[in-house]
Parts: sequence; structure tokens; C-alpha cells
Amino acid sequence: MSSDVKILDGNTFVVSDNAGDIDASLTDPTGLFSFDTRFLSKWVLTIDGRRLNPLSVDDLQYFEARFFLVPGTGTVYVDAKLSVIRQRAVGGGFHEELTILNHDDKAVDLDVRIEAGCDFADLFEVKDALKKSGDYFQRIDGDRLVLGYRRETFERETWISATAPATVDEHGLTFAVTIAPHGSWTTDLHVATGMDAPGQGVAHPKYERNAKKARPNMARSLDKWLDEAPRLECDWGSLKATYQRSLVDLAALRFSPVALPGHYLPAAGLPWFMTMFGRDSIFTSLQALPFSAELAATTLTALALWQGSQIDDFRDEDPGRILHEQRFGEMTAFEERPHSPYYGCADATPLYVVLLDEYERWTGDTRRVRVLEATARAALDWIDDYADLQGNGYISYKRRNEKTGLENQCWKDSWDSISYRDGRLPGFPRATCELQGYAYDAKMRGARLAREVWKDLAYAERLEKQAADLKRRFNRDFWVQDGEYFALALDADGGQVDALASNIGHLLWSGIVDKNKARKVVRHLMGTRLYSGWGVRTLAEGEGRYNPIGYHVGTIWPYDNSFIAWGLRRYGFKEEAARIAAGILDAAEFFEGRLPEAFGGYPRELTKYPVQYPTACSPQAWSTGAPLLLLRTMLGLEPIGDHLVVDPALPQGIGHLELLDIPGRWGHIDAFGRGTVDVARMGRGRKQLGVLPADAVRPTARPREHKH
Amino acid sequence: MADVTRQFFEGLAAKGHEPLLESFTGTLRFDLRDGERTEHWYVVLTRGDIVVAHDDGDAEAVMGTDLATFDAILSGEMNAMAALLRGVVTMHGRSILLLAFQRLFRGSVGAGDELRTAGYSRERS
Repeated sequence: MSSDVKILDGNTFVVSDNAGDIDASLTDPTGLFSFDTRFLSKWVLTIDGRRLNPLSVDDLQYFEARFFLVPGTGTVYVDAKLSVIRQRAVGGGFHEELTILNHDDKAVDLDVRIEAGCDFADLFEVKDALKKSGDYFQRIDGDRLVLGYRRETFERETWISATAPATVDEHGLTFAVTIAPHGSWTTDLHVATGMDAPGQGVAHPKYERNAKKARPNMARSLDKWLDEAPRLECDWGSLKATYQRSLVDLAALRFSPVALPGHYLPAAGLPWFMTMFGRDSIFTSLQALPFSAELAATTLTALALWQGSQIDDFRDEDPGRILHEQRFGEMTAFEERPHSPYYGCADATPLYVVLLDEYERWTGDTRRVRVLEATARAALDWIDDYADLQGNGYISYKRRNEKTGLENQCWKDSWDSISYRDGRLPGFPRATCELQGYAYDAKMRGARLAREVWKDLAYAERLEKQAADLKRRFNRDFWVQDGEYFALALDADGGQVDALASNIGHLLWSGIVDKNKARKVVRHLMGTRLYSGWGVRTLAEGEGRYNPIGYHVGTIWPYDNSFIAWGLRRYGFKEEAARIAAGILDAAEFFEGRLPEAFGGYPRELTKYPVQYPTACSPQAWSTGAPLLLLRTMLGLEPIGDHLVVDPALPQGIGHLELLDIPGRWGHIDAFGRGTVDVARMGRGRKQLGVLPADAVRPTARPREHKH
Repeated sequence: MADVTRQFFEGLAAKGHEPLLESFTGTLRFDLRDGERTEHWYVVLTRGDIVVAHDDGDAEAVMGTDLATFDAILSGEMNAMAALLRGVVTMHGRSILLLAFQRLFRGSVGAGDELRTAGYSRERS
């Protein structure tokens, strides 16, 4: 089986084999996809009835690829008289420039064919191998082939056409081609996706209208994105490469919601999760704030548009709740899946308020905070009015959609992620600890916004009082006395779900931990049961369900670690934060700068390299954001009023690090640091380790005069 | 049936202002088919201020469906987004206006408050 080639633009993407062909069965995840629907499941090029062999593939950009092919069978040496180049760019369908070169000194007659077909599968059907209930049709409109699918009023069409003369039949396009000696032949193929309502006409793809301009526009938007991001100078080459990789991947993960054309938020993962997710979009926006505030701005605006407004059990919706996931496919359209949108997550709503406040701290954009006041208040109300399922003053979750809703509505959403020490699973509702931290932080930050922007002092005081009460109760009810850490959750009886897990690091980030308990929490985070040498495990070694390659029960998540590092900074544990950063950024070197969603929790001295956990989605947004947040925590960047405070604590081995032109309410600021924190020196990371610069630390921040 | 739709727009007109829409300005039209005829509702939105007319003017955003579907959406029996994906409802123009506005559809459902929790913090503060 040849390896997949993926290119994408927002939620439109093409997955093909390395010859550029698509030949998918229902459950094969290949094809042209847009708005969660497959628009091509067959796209096969033949010359004189034979398929072509790939010589090489260039992934030119995330949105375009070039395939070099030759005819013939799989012999080792190829001595073909023909070569074929397919250059493909995606966007509202895709555009493919097909070129055939004749290397012979004789003219050649060829029968060139593109075989096309489509099953119009919903992404959920591809995942779960479900049958379709509508009807297929094909139509020839002049020189265009139209593939279609209809179920009641639901209609999707794929339009296929070429610039060269072609014979069109219901299964493809055929070209009778004669190529002169040492000559060439070219055609542009257009594949357009249509999902407008019947009688309204099918939307034209970007390329149909403006084939030659689309690609340069996209390239320019990538250049502009890279140009506007802060510049990193550093003597650790791997970190520079990781930073660059993160920026490019984040560009690819940008997703423009239908309602906000030209504005981008981070989708969750590429390519199967190219849609709005409350939790993932918020966490990634938080990670990226020092580098691009636009992602946060769009996330805040888009999530507000879809904020829950009624009680809907099928969608697990309540008034004020922030959505979990939005989808556009057939199963969502016919309410066989609840994603229109689905609201079943318990953390996105408090995190929304956290992001709004953090966004204002960086940008000073009080206008947006005023516009979103009603949204933020409704989110804060949700915490008290709809999330306290047990009436004990804590957020807990229990799905109301028992069929297609999510059981675990926290970030560790797999079935066995929340357990007692002995491995038993609690019933529902479950009040996981990090949710209480987010609620505390949301109330504290909401209070700041109420005081400084909304000018409602009474509301600010009320929120602060509630937060203080929550913090007091939390430190009493969740504290596991005999282990000296916070329980993973409270169960339906209010009992402690007492496994030791990475969630305690999020508690530091939220600020809900009493000062006198913080050191004990840190000791656990950096102890051998949780810390592997690469990072903090999701579940501690020794717990009943611990498994170093278990999804949420022992693997290490870079995103999780980046927020733990932020939490360590918040409580003043700079050196420990530097150690987390060093481990994760060392691991990034092994993954060539692209951190996976998760990797194995094996001890570092055992495996010497981080063991990748197999996942379908790469890059993943919040893993892509992790190095960005770690740069922030290493440099100790903290906006205070109109200033950016810089307080670096870098691992030894980084001689110098400069982050230039950090944008914010201060204009642009440069931050500098030198590595002084002693960290474990293993593996091949940071080759210059141990070289302590002669002039030691000098934290500096220098405001920039110029603006961009 | 058409009473639901009429009540919705007349209710909006009477209210005259909607805090959820304070960041929006624009014009919207709802073309609601009822057999042979089409009923039009026209909304002028100015930073949350709402003026409603029962006529057919040029609008920046237009939503089209049949009256029975619109009634079903307003009464909470049908989900507007799913209906849009099915092609039962169409949207043209500045979709953000319609997406912002559709929150009022759902808000109009007289949802029971049985799921509202005790409000622990509120009671104690």
C-alpha cells in the first residue's frame, strides 16, 4: 500500500496515494473531502488503459503537491519514453495541472483517461462503515461531468471539467492526445464541490472562477502569516526548526468559519478534525496568543455566535454553554449525529472566559470584550445554573444524549481515563478536578473584566466571593490526605476518585491551589511516578490503569505539559517549568519539530527516544501550539497593564534565545534569555548542553520603537 | 400555525432591542413560502435595535424556507442548522447576520427550567 499524500485548505482536503490517485472503498479514508463530506472517492489516471508509477512526490506547501510519474510496471529501472506530472492545489475542490512529456523522437498517440466517481460519504460513515440511504446520479452538462447524491432535499454535487477537449461520459473524461517528438501536452482539471440547496445553484469553487490566482493568494497568506509572527533567534538549531514547523502547521490548521469569511481560528487537527472544537480552539488560541492574537479573536467571536440558548438533550445543549464540535455532513443534517453543533463538553464554557481575559491582557482590545459581555456573563451563569449537576458547588458532567453523546466531557475523553487508584471506574456524574480549576479561574478573570471593562463592581465582587468560596471548598474536598495531592475527580457520591494524574498540573495553571499545597503538587509532578524525563504522564506509574502507551492513562501529551509548565510558572516554580520545556522540546527534535498528539510514557533512560503513539491526525492543533506556549513560559512572558514582563528561566544548553517583535498592547517588544537552569542531560537533545555562558542570566525586555 | 411566526416577529418589534445583537447592524429578510404565496418579514437591525416590517425590501441577508418549517424551528421542533444542511432552509448574503439572529429563534422556545441546577454559588453569595 502506497503512503498517503494529504493537502488541504480549511476543511477541504485531498488524501491520495503517492501517484495522485484516489480509489477508495467506503471505509478508506482517502478522497476529496469538504464540509465533512467526500466529494470524490475515485480519481484514477490511466494512459492507454494502464495506471502510472510514482517516481517522486513533492509536498510543495500544505495546500499543494506535485507527483512525478512514469508508465510501466514495477520494474526497478525505468526507461520510459513518457513522463507525467500532476500538480494539484486544493481550495473549494481542487485544481490539477496534468502534463505529459514525450521524450521520444517520434510523435505519440495516447489514450489519456481520468476515471471519476463518488460515494458522498459523511466523515462519520467513513469512520463507522455506515450505509447510505439516498440516491446517486450522474449528468453530463456540455463538457462537464456532474456527480451527484440526493436524499430528500439534501443534495451534494461534484463538477468535473478540463481545459483540453475531452470526451465526457458518466464515469470520467477521456482525452485523445497526440504529442509531437520531444513535445508536451497539458490540461487543467477542475473539480468543484457544490452543496447549495436545490434550485439555488451549486457554489462555484475558487479555482473555477480564478484558476491561476488561487495558489499565489494562498502562498501570500502563508508568507504574511510567517512574516507577522515574532522572530526566534537561538543557538539551539532544533528549537528554531520546531518553532518554524509550528508556525507553518498552525497556518495549515487555520479554519475560516462560514459566518466569518477572511477570519481564522485554529481547527483541532489535520485533516479529520478541520472544524471548530470549543476546547481545542480555545487551548490552541491561548498557546498562540503571544504570537498571533487573531486566532483568539476569531475563536471568541465564532464560539459566541453558537453559544447555547436552549435546553436540547440530543445536543447536550444548555443556555450559555460553549459548543464542543460542529459538523456539516449528511448524518448531522438528518440528525443522526448531534453535531449541529454538539455541546457535550464541560470545560469549554469556563475556558471561554479565561481566553477572553487573557486575550484582553495581551491585546488591550476592550471593544471586543464589551461586545462579548453578554456571552461571557451567560457562560459564567452556566457554571452555576447548569453545570452543578450534583448541587454541591462543583462542575460535573453526565451526558443526556445516551446514544451518540460523549461520555467523558473533559479533555481526557476516552472511556477509561478517569479511574480510582485500583483501576475501578466511577459512575456519572463525574466532577473532574481541572474543571473546578477552570471555573475558579473563569470567575477571577470574569471579575477582572467586570471591574475594568464592564464597570460592574457589584458583579466583580460577587464573582470574587464565589471564587474564594470555591477555592476553599476545593482545597478541602479534593485533597487526598494520604497521598498529598488533589483527587482526579469526585464521584457521584462525592467520594474522591483518587488516582494521581497530570490534571493536578492544570490546577496550578488555574490558580486554585492553596499556596501551602503547591510545593507538594509540584513534588508529584516532577517525581518519577509522573515525570518520565520527557514530560509529565497523563496517569502516574503504579496506578491500576497505568499503561505507558494508554491514550489517557500513561502517555505524555505535549499540550498537557505546556499548560503544566504555565502552571508551574504561575506558582513561581521557574526551574521546574524549564525542565518540562526542555524535555518536551528535546522530544520535538526526534519528531522533526512536529510534536505528536501524545507519545509513550516510558522512562527516558529506558527508551532514549520518545515512542510515538499511533494517531490518525497530524499535526494536531494543541500539540502544534505546545512549543509556542513553552517559549512563553521559558521567557516568563506576562502582560502586566500596558507592559510585557520578561522573566526568563531557560534550560542550560540554550546559550541565548531571543524572541523578537512580540506583538501586543505595548506595540512590539523583544525578549532575551540565557540558559541557566540545570536540567537532565540525556539523549541527543541540545548538543551544546552544559556550556554555561560566562555572563550568566540577564533578563531583558526592550520596547521597539517601530511598528510593522 | 402561522401564528407562531407572526408572534415571533411582532414580539421582536414590540421589544425593539436585543442585547445579544448589539454588535450587529444590517438588514435581514425572511421569505416564507405558504402554498402559492410567500410571506415576507423584513428586519432592520442597528446595534441591537430592531425594527420589523411585514414587506419585501432589499436585504443584506435573506433566509428562505416554507412557513411550516419556520414555525417548527421557532417552536423548537426543528433545528435550524440541520435544516440548513438538509437544504430545507436556504441562506444568502451576509450569513453572519442570520447566524447571529438565529439565536433568537431558539431563545423563543418556552423551555422548561427543570434542568437548571441549584445555583450553589448564587444562593450562598
